[in-house]
This record gives sequence, C-alpha cells and structure tokens, in this order.
Amino acid sequence: MDIFLERLFDGVTNGAVYAIMAMALVVVFRGTGTINFAQGEMALFTTYIAWWLTVQGQPVWVAAIIASAVGFVLGAVTERTLIRPIRKRNDMATLIVALGLFTGFNALAGLIWNSENKNMPSLFPAGQDDYATVGGARLYFDALGVWLVVILLIGAVFFLFNRTRIGLHMRAVADNPESAALTGVKTGRILMLGWGLAGIIGSFAGVLIAPLSSQQLGLTTMFPILIYASAAALFGGLDSPVGAVVGGLAIGLLEAMITGYVDFVGGTLPQTAALVIIVFILLFKPTGLFGTRQMERL
Amino acid sequence: MTSPRLAIVQGSAQHRALQLGGLALAALVLLWGAGQEPFRVGQLTSVLIFAIAISGLNLATGYTGLLSIGHSAFFGLGAYTTGILIVTYDVEPMLTLPVATVLCFVLGFLVGLPALRIRGLYLALVTLAVGVAFPELVRRFADLTGGAAGMVIRSRQLAPPEWTGLALGQRGVWLYWVSAVTLIVVLLLVRNLTRSRTGMAMIATRDNELAAASSGVHIASVKTIVFGLSGAVTGLAGGLFAMYVGALSPDGSFTLLKSIELITGLFVGGAATLYGPVAGALAVVFIPYYSSDLASGHVSGIIFGAVLILIVFLMPEGVVGVLGRALRRVVRVVPSSPSAPSEPPASTPQKREDTP
Repeated sequence: MDIFLERLFDGVTNGAVYAIMAMALVVVFRGTGTINFAQGEMALFTTYIAWWLTVQGQPVWVAAIIASAVGFVLGAVTERTLIRPIRKRNDMATLIVALGLFTGFNALAGLIWNSENKNMPSLFPAGQDDYATVGGARLYFDALGVWLVVILLIGAVFFLFNRTRIGLHMRAVADNPESAALTGVKTGRILMLGWGLAGIIGSFAGVLIAPLSSQQLGLTTMFPILIYASAAALFGGLDSPVGAVVGGLAIGLLEAMITGYVDFVGGTLPQTAALVIIVFILLFKPTGLFGTRQMERL
Repeated sequence: MTSPRLAIVQGSAQHRALQLGGLALAALVLLWGAGQEPFRVGQLTSVLIFAIAISGLNLATGYTGLLSIGHSAFFGLGAYTTGILIVTYDVEPMLTLPVATVLCFVLGFLVGLPALRIRGLYLALVTLAVGVAFPELVRRFADLTGGAAGMVIRSRQLAPPEWTGLALGQRGVWLYWVSAVTLIVVLLLVRNLTRSRTGMAMIATRDNELAAASSGVHIASVKTIVFGLSGAVTGLAGGLFAMYVGALSPDGSFTLLKSIELITGLFVGGAATLYGPVAGALAVVFIPYYSSDLASGHVSGIIFGAVLILIVFLMPEGVVGVLGRALRRVVRVVPSSPSAPSEPPASTPQKREDTP
C-alpha cells in the first residue's frame, strides 16, 4: 500500500509538471495553430536565468518571478518578430522556425552558462527530512509544493480564459480569428499575449522541475519534459486546457505505474509504454480526449 | 514569371546533351571526392549517407506532408539490423542492406497504419512514439543489441570484397563508392516515383487531403505506402551508417535529436526537391564541423538555429528550391509538342529542376 502511494505521488508530481508545460503548448496552439517545439528550450533558458539570479544571491522566489517576466517578453517578442510574419504561409514554416529556436536557445544557454549541470535550489523545503507521512508513504514537501503551484497556475489560467475580457478575446481569436477581428478584437496583440502567457507558464514549469530532475539543471533537462508535454497536449486534445491537465496527469501516472507494476517492460520501457497506450487511445479518439473535431470545407 | 531566355525541348539533342553533361559533372565530383585524404573521404561518405536518409524523410515530409519526428528510429533500425547480422550471424555486409531496407519498410508501413484515422500533428505524435521507443527497445533487448554498452563491428568484417582489389585499409574508399552508388539509385527512384501517378497522389494529399480524397486518391494507402518507402530509404542509410561508424549505441545517433537533424537538413536543402537532401546533408555535416572549434560546439547550434529561421524567411523553398527557380529563369525544359512524331506526348509539363 505505501509503495503504491509513493508511486502515486511520484506520478502525480511528474504529471503535474507535464500538465503545466502542456498548458503552455495548448495556449500557443489555440492562437497560432501549431505546437511550439521551442517552448521547452525557452523555458530552459529562463530557468538558467533564474539559477544565475540565485547564484547572485537573490531568493528563489524573486528569481522565479523575474524568470517568468523574461519568459513573457521572450514569448511575446518571438511571436511578433518571428511567428507572425510567416504564420499565414503554412504550419510547416512555423514549425521550422520553432525548431530553429529550439536549437538556438539550447546552444545559447550552453554558450553563456556552459554544459555542466547546475544545482537549482527548490522553491520549497527540499531536505531529506522535509516530508509528511501519508498512509505509510513519504510525501515530500517539494512535491506537495509543485502540486500547489500547478493548481494555482491552472486556476489562474481558467480564471483568465473564462472570467476576464482578455480571456474572452483569446477564446474568440482561437475560435475564429476573422470574426474576432471584425468585432474589434486586436488579434495581433492577443496572439502576442498568448505567447507571452505560455512563456510565463513554461518558465514556472522549468523552475519547478529543475530541482526535482535527476540531473538538476542541464542542457537536456527540458527536452524529455517537452516530449511528454506534447504527448499530454495531444492526448487531451490540442485545443483544450482541461485536456492538457488530464493528459499530463495521465501520462505521469501511467509512467509511474507501468514502471512499478508491469514486469515485462520493467524499468526500461516506461516512456514507450505510455506513448503506445496514448497512440491506441488516439485511434479511437483521433483528436484527443477533449479536442474539438475540425470541420473542413472545400 | 519572366519567360526563360532559352527553352529546350524535352528529349531533344540539346536536352540529352545537358543531361549527359550533368551526369559527367556528378561523376567528376564523386571522383574528386574519392581522391581526397582518408579523413575527408569519411566525411564525404557521411554526407552521402545523410543525403540518403534525408531523401527518405523527404518522401514522407516533403512530398506527402506527413511530418515525422521518428525517422531516427528507421535510421537506427537499419543500422542495428546491419550491425546484428554482421556481428552475430557473420553475414556479408552488403547482403544486410536489403534486409535492413525491407524491415524498415515493414516498420514504416506499421507506423503509417494509424494514419488511417489520425491526422496532422496527432500523426506526428505516433512518429514521436516510435522515435522515443527505439533507444529504449535497444536497451531492453540487450542480448540482441548489446544494450546500453553498444555494439562494435570489427573492421575485418567490413573488408571490401576481393574483386575490387582494395585492401582492408581502403575500406573507407569502398564504403564511399557504395554510398555514392546507393545515393544515385535512391535519387533515381525518388525522381521517378514523384513524377509518377503515385507521386502526384502524394503531392495532392499534402496540398489538400480532402480534395485529393474526393478526386479519387486513396489517402490511406498513399500514407501507409509512403511511410513504408520513406522508412525503407532512411533504414538503408542507417545500414550504411552502421558500416561507416562501426560502433552502435542507443544514445549515440538514434535519438530524437537525430530526427531533428534530418528535418533541419531537409528544410535547409529544400523540402520536396530532388537534390534538396544532398544540399541539406552538406549543411548538416559541414556546419557543425567548421564551427566546432568555437566554444565547444555551442556556436554551431546557434548558427544552425539562425540558419533555419533565415531559411524560412528568405528562401522557404530551401537552397535547392531557390537555385532551381533561378535556373529556370535562364533555361527551361519544355515538353515536346504533342504533334512531334518522335516522342509520345508527356502527360504533365516536366519542369526543369533536376539536372544541375
């Protein structure tokens, strides 16, 4: 039982991180219509900034907030200068720009801060003894903290989308850009905001995950997370924030449980097994669990 | 578009002469490459191998619009098939290549199967799953593959066949020529395939899937077969790559980063162009090589990223696409007129975009 609980906690913690990263991807997808492959590396870059600030003696919280501010600017500027001019051409062009940013940001982080792994301090108490015992299993406070931040973040995003004027505009632009523009929504500014918002969410994800990651903060920290987050976003349905959360948690749990309980795949194939299950589900729900079906006219 | 200064009728003596000239030029370049110092020959061999791999990706992503992030798996499956057959079963190296190709065709076909229901980025997720799975599977089945520790092909087993008269130490030259001939065959096949009925179906599927389906293109079979062929070609390159590097490990060359490298090469060179993969392979091999002296390779990443973005903004058709268009302003091959008795009428206008 306690082993089961520990695996459950692990799964939820990883899943929560995948969920917020997936949320960033969904926010961009709703406006721009493609997966931002560079989201993970942009987050990596801002996480390095946060790390550098803590080395300069800033408290972690301050560093995290500055990092997410940088993430906002980075996202918004990228949208305005690199994505908007080519967005109308086709999806492939946007994707290639994202790949370019992926390679570029990763290399830039390596160039500025070299390729050695850094010790990223946690936002929460992360000592060996900082845990509560739940049903015989250890629930570490830093995992609990991650859950908390994720819940807050998701609550904030839902509030933004469903209760504010900007959120209404964002949904309008995602739904039908032309009609939104005709009713006076400044679609360009909304798209910029969307990318900026995704930048903030991604930065938080980076700051949260780096201390939990086995290799701490390194140049390859974010790539697997981006992969899982993409899978989570696709699983949930690319245009659905609810789907991102459900997809992220599902992947985290699948990964933890398969590693623990399915002997054949054992510890060696968790990622494959999780992805294969998702592919099977997609066969029955081709646009993800919560995604809207696209209607096309000729 | 301005009318070209020089129009050449397809199939005329001039056209044939130009084609022969192009072939001669290609042969000269290959001969020049074979005469270089061993290190340079090796580098050029890797260019040839990557050109084959990217040509495979080009079939799926360039011509048919199926984005694949999993081609590293085909590359790896081809490489490991060759490696295992040579090391464990002591098979003649060249005989392993057909096996690798067929296996990768089957894998590609299987990957294409979900395409019957899943489309767009969701389909890319399927390829992603394959790409993620491959290194894990290699590690899981360590008895067969050597696992995380890797697998080494002894150079003795890669000796050139006797009829070539090449010594064991010259196996680099031998592999260079094998790769060159393979690349030429692959390019010929891609050229003929993309100009065939199937090729048009592929391009129609890419440009508008629904419209293609309603004009009678069987989307499902196009997608599965293209994935199969695409995987087969990339797997063939993988087999050659195994002979080229001689040592295989799951984390070395067969992760998703290799897929990204192949995609980068494809778009830099020019997606949906015949020679784009060759130009892309040159970029993928030589840009990191020449910029690796600066700051331990990070500069090469920045250059790569910047080049990719610049390509999208300045030449979305890739290097070869732009060169081809510039060339067509000067010389254009027009199809022979239907009344000409010598040639049957060409069904489609054949644009001049291939002969250099």
